Amino acid sequence: MKTENAIDSFIRETGGAVAAELEACTRCGMCAEACHFYLATGVPEYAPVWKFELMRKAYQQRFTVTGRLRVLLGLEKPIKEQDLLDWSTIVYHACTGCDRCSLVCPMGIEIGHLIADVRTGMVAAGVVPKDLYDAVQKQVTEGSPLGVTDEVFAERLDFVKDEWEVDIPLDKAGAETLVVFSSIEIMKFPQNLAAIAKILNQAKENWTISSTAREVVNFGYYEGDHALTKLFLSRVLDGAVKLGVKRIVVTECGHAYEALRWTSYNLMDVPPDIEITHIVGLLGKYVESGRIKLKKNANNQGTITFHDACKIQRLGGYIKEPRTIMKILAPDAFKELTPNREEGLCCGGGGGVIAIKDADPLRYAVFELKIDQIKEIGADTVVMACSNCRLQFTDCVGHFNLDLKVAGLSQIVADALEQ
Amino acid sequence: MDWYKILAFARGPFFQVAWLVFIGGLVYRLIRVILFGWKKDKDPADGSKLVGLVKSFLKGAIIWPFIPWVKRTFSKNPVVYLAGGFFHLGLLIILIFGTPHMLVWKSLLGFGWYTLPLPITDWFAAVTIAAMVVLLINRFINPVLRLISGPAEWFNWLLVFLPMVSGYLMTHHLINPYEKAFALHMLAVDALLIWIPFSRISHFIFYFFSRAIHGIEYGKRAVNP
Repeated sequence: MKTENAIDSFIRETGGAVAAELEACTRCGMCAEACHFYLATGVPEYAPVWKFELMRKAYQQRFTVTGRLRVLLGLEKPIKEQDLLDWSTIVYHACTGCDRCSLVCPMGIEIGHLIADVRTGMVAAGVVPKDLYDAVQKQVTEGSPLGVTDEVFAERLDFVKDEWEVDIPLDKAGAETLVVFSSIEIMKFPQNLAAIAKILNQAKENWTISSTAREVVNFGYYEGDHALTKLFLSRVLDGAVKLGVKRIVVTECGHAYEALRWTSYNLMDVPPDIEITHIVGLLGKYVESGRIKLKKNANNQGTITFHDACKIQRLGGYIKEPRTIMKILAPDAFKELTPNREEGLCCGGGGGVIAIKDADPLRYAVFELKIDQIKEIGADTVVMACSNCRLQFTDCVGHFNLDLKVAGLSQIVADALEQ
Repeated sequence: MDWYKILAFARGPFFQVAWLVFIGGLVYRLIRVILFGWKKDKDPADGSKLVGLVKSFLKGAIIWPFIPWVKRTFSKNPVVYLAGGFFHLGLLIILIFGTPHMLVWKSLLGFGWYTLPLPITDWFAAVTIAAMVVLLINRFINPVLRLISGPAEWFNWLLVFLPMVSGYLMTHHLINPYEKAFALHMLAVDALLIWIPFSRISHFIFYFFSRAIHGIEYGKRAVNP
């Protein structure tokens, strides 16, 4: 491990925006009340402000008069190896990058971005939790952190086509839309593939999937490794260019959308004539324009609610679409969680946390907040548009033995399609 | 002690030096941050960056405590919201609409404005001082604040508190003679002005950067900042 590498990385990531934000922080501590990890545990080290403490230290000690003076006077110590080890746990186990903290910050500091920069420093120093590191390496060598190799991909595809009797075009020349699934869907929720295929076929979309651009998940992005983030992004983008499509649709995966839609442009050259969008946006447009028709009241029993995913709703902007759909399918049964929309509480599984075994107790502790939210309105079904959230929900339903149905948005739309 | 001489020094040359350090220091820090370089954001936008920017400042400055969700975090820590809110409100009102302060601005800027009657500014002064005491106690009690507070944070509090309390004692003639009260107030103000460029109290400048960045980022994504 090289402490210097981490510090250099912190300094490299510090542009005008980061510097201004670090200068703006008044250390009021309000962000703590927004963080589900702090709310669930009460551990002060999980307060968002503490998570980017190393960025602040590196910045002040390198660039400011007072920072250098503080080190000289012994009021503050330089960053040491042990700090990196401590913060590695804090930023990888106790942060899902949900960015809820930036909404409560009176100064509007983009705390989520700052914590992502801290993760990048951890990569430079080589202090990434082993489980996450291994998953990333698996994506490098096998093309997917969940082991979706070429053979597995072909097998799963055949399985889905047989099981649900749907057409899924592969490497179709002349297709306009490339749909890229996440390996979570391919391995854990294959019904999502069938559901999305059914919807696209019904809408008469000229679409395809690709045998090379077949994994939209980007574990390099979780880790904070720019080079690997780029590598995984380029696999998708190159596949799209090869097929000559006009549009890439990211399926129900939150961080994959964040990486492809909001990170790629500033990291690499993205072909300007390819639009990047999310399946929820597409669903909204289909329903609005009448390209697909939904059976009214299809899910209008009991109490059904929608869980807002941080990267698709809060940071992705697809907030209205799920509501429009829910109001068609369950006009009376649909109830909102509180808080919701931009302010929705994260499930606790995102940001790579669910991939880290040692973080399991924390992940379950955080989910108890979600359980409280759901119990408050007495929901028996919860719908979401992110497979990572869905994985966390299904795992926690088992762990806590909950009587709760978990569904994907595409799935309930596909089930309610009017032929 | 000759309080008259000390007063003359504190409101004369020392005040001028303090202003120079204050302005020079802040300009230096501002320029340093600007010179870090600003990468152009190449993301195609889904929503209006301008709308996000406007919403961000509205939320930050005006309707902050009244947003329903903030009320939920508010309910967890009403003390900080109320004390913090009243502190900033009181501070601005006293500094801008207190008659003696307006006269200082007038001598510096060359023009004056309407001021509030003394009982009103006096009430705000008392509230502001009370708010500061509440915030100090909270900083001692709250585990997160204890974790993130070092010597600089405690010193910040002290240097902001001194001008306020000395000003309050002066208007109420609780320190005599008047020259002594006035001199102590001016010394405290000078110390604060000099300290601000070296401290986080300077957040009032970078506030405009961070809120703008946040608003533009969220506006770009077509969500409410």
